[in-house]
Amino acid sequence: MKAVIEAKNLTKRYGDFTAVNGISFEVKPGEIFGFLGPNGAGKTTTVRMLSTLTSITEGEAYVNGHDVRRERKAVKKTIGVVQDVSNLYDELTVEENLRFLAKLYDAPLENVSRLIKDFNLPAKKKFGKLSSGYKRRTAIVAALIHEPPVLFLDEPTVALDVQSANLVRNMIQLLNKEGKTIFLTTHNMTEAETLPHRIAIINRGKIVAIGKRNELRKLVGKGVKVRFRVEPLSNRFLRFLEPYSPKPDGETLVVMVEDPDTFLEEFWGLKRELGFRVLHLSTELPSIEEVFLQLTDSNEDGERPCACGGCPL
Amino acid sequence: MKVVPIIVKELKEYMFKPGSISWGLVFPLVFSLAFIVRFGDIDHLAPGLVSISALFATTSFVASSLIFERRLKTFERLLLAPISYGEIILAKVLVGALFGLMVSAITLAIVRYFMVYPVWSWPLTLLGILLANLAFSALGVYISLAVENPINVMTWLNVIRLPMMFTSGAIASLTLFPKWFIAIGLITPMTYSVEALRYSLLGYYDVIAPLYSLPLMLFMTLLFMLLSVRSLRRMY
Repeated sequence: MKAVIEAKNLTKRYGDFTAVNGISFEVKPGEIFGFLGPNGAGKTTTVRMLSTLTSITEGEAYVNGHDVRRERKAVKKTIGVVQDVSNLYDELTVEENLRFLAKLYDAPLENVSRLIKDFNLPAKKKFGKLSSGYKRRTAIVAALIHEPPVLFLDEPTVALDVQSANLVRNMIQLLNKEGKTIFLTTHNMTEAETLPHRIAIINRGKIVAIGKRNELRKLVGKGVKVRFRVEPLSNRFLRFLEPYSPKPDGETLVVMVEDPDTFLEEFWGLKRELGFRVLHLSTELPSIEEVFLQLTDSNEDGERPCACGGCPL
Repeated sequence: MKVVPIIVKELKEYMFKPGSISWGLVFPLVFSLAFIVRFGDIDHLAPGLVSISALFATTSFVASSLIFERRLKTFERLLLAPISYGEIILAKVLVGALFGLMVSAITLAIVRYFMVYPVWSWPLTLLGILLANLAFSALGVYISLAVENPINVMTWLNVIRLPMMFTSGAIASLTLFPKWFIAIGLITPMTYSVEALRYSLLGYYDVIAPLYSLPLMLFMTLLFMLLSVRSLRRMY
């Protein structure tokens, strides 16, 4: 399947500072592609380059088959961009803002009333008087006015309360179901756990991992996390745990194990032998947050093997 | 052409912003009234007062709009739309000139009321005011984009606007000054505006004939617009 967004060795330099350092990736049609990274990692700069807002220093980028460097107007017609701030005009009503953008994009004016109705926006209210949640929803709707097949969402839930953030996430899923390809930058782990089909993690301008969630989880730690609470804790049991470096987490202990079957076999064997009570026992894969923290903190400069196996990292 | 929707949007959004009202409307009108009260017969000051009104109204309006838009990133809405940088700059210049025309028309009406002699040529006066507003607006757009931090735009504008009031002959005739002083004035559109309006309102000029001052204002409009487009290319 032909990629909708394609970046090849994309680089952005500001003087001596390299904000984005030769990154390459592809986004497939209908995909939600999560772009994760700490503050200053290069997420927004990447979005700005792909959406024509910032010039590309080196490398190539294509959106919907159009060269971002040479066919800026064609790229702009096929993308909708929601920036990390809700940047519409305060003194204009929601409807006036959308009508203005419809005129700029040569979009049918019927789209304005349809979108206002579909997303239940207060048409006659001035944008500046809206709550931050409504502002963000209106900003997302504004990006849809010309019915673009690709959406760039830069931190769409930043600074929103829980309810508004949830509404925005539902909106993103709805738009994806309608067939939009979505490039989503975030450092919100709830979003990263639920929305993207694939994720790229960027750190200090370089992509350090790329792949599906489960593929990324396999890149870090020793496979599976086992959490348990037993009573009483005998010395024998603690000696058994020693090689796994157990960490207390509330009332439970947590260990990372490569082979959970063997670990649990030994665990139940000891229970039979020592007779302790098991008050809690669960297994879980590492969260995306853990993957993110490991790849962006402990490995700030290095590159990790790519989970997809096929991308040019 | 997407210029018209941008102009309508700008007027709705920025017409009543504090920067437009204080520096763009109140300052030039109060300034003109102060001179009228002081001198009574203000024929010789009329070209300067109308030019000052146009200068402050246009530059304050476009600066106010660009300061807000650059800080709140609404300017990037325009940059993301499938329109050229040239169209964006043209819209900004035209809307600034439109606001300037409104303010300078009010000033002209007030000043005309206190003038002793009749206006020498109305068509030339209207042409002069139109070209002056375009040139000042283009200057304002260029400065608003050239200053890196938008918070500092108004300060830089005043650094440029206030000396221009003196080097242009708006307050005192250029014939009273040495040649080097006149030469400084010739690099700004304000001097051409004052000279063109002096001729159209009073029938004489100090240094530059309208044959030169009017086309030079048009030339400066185009020059500042080109420089603004270049600034945009450098910034984005």
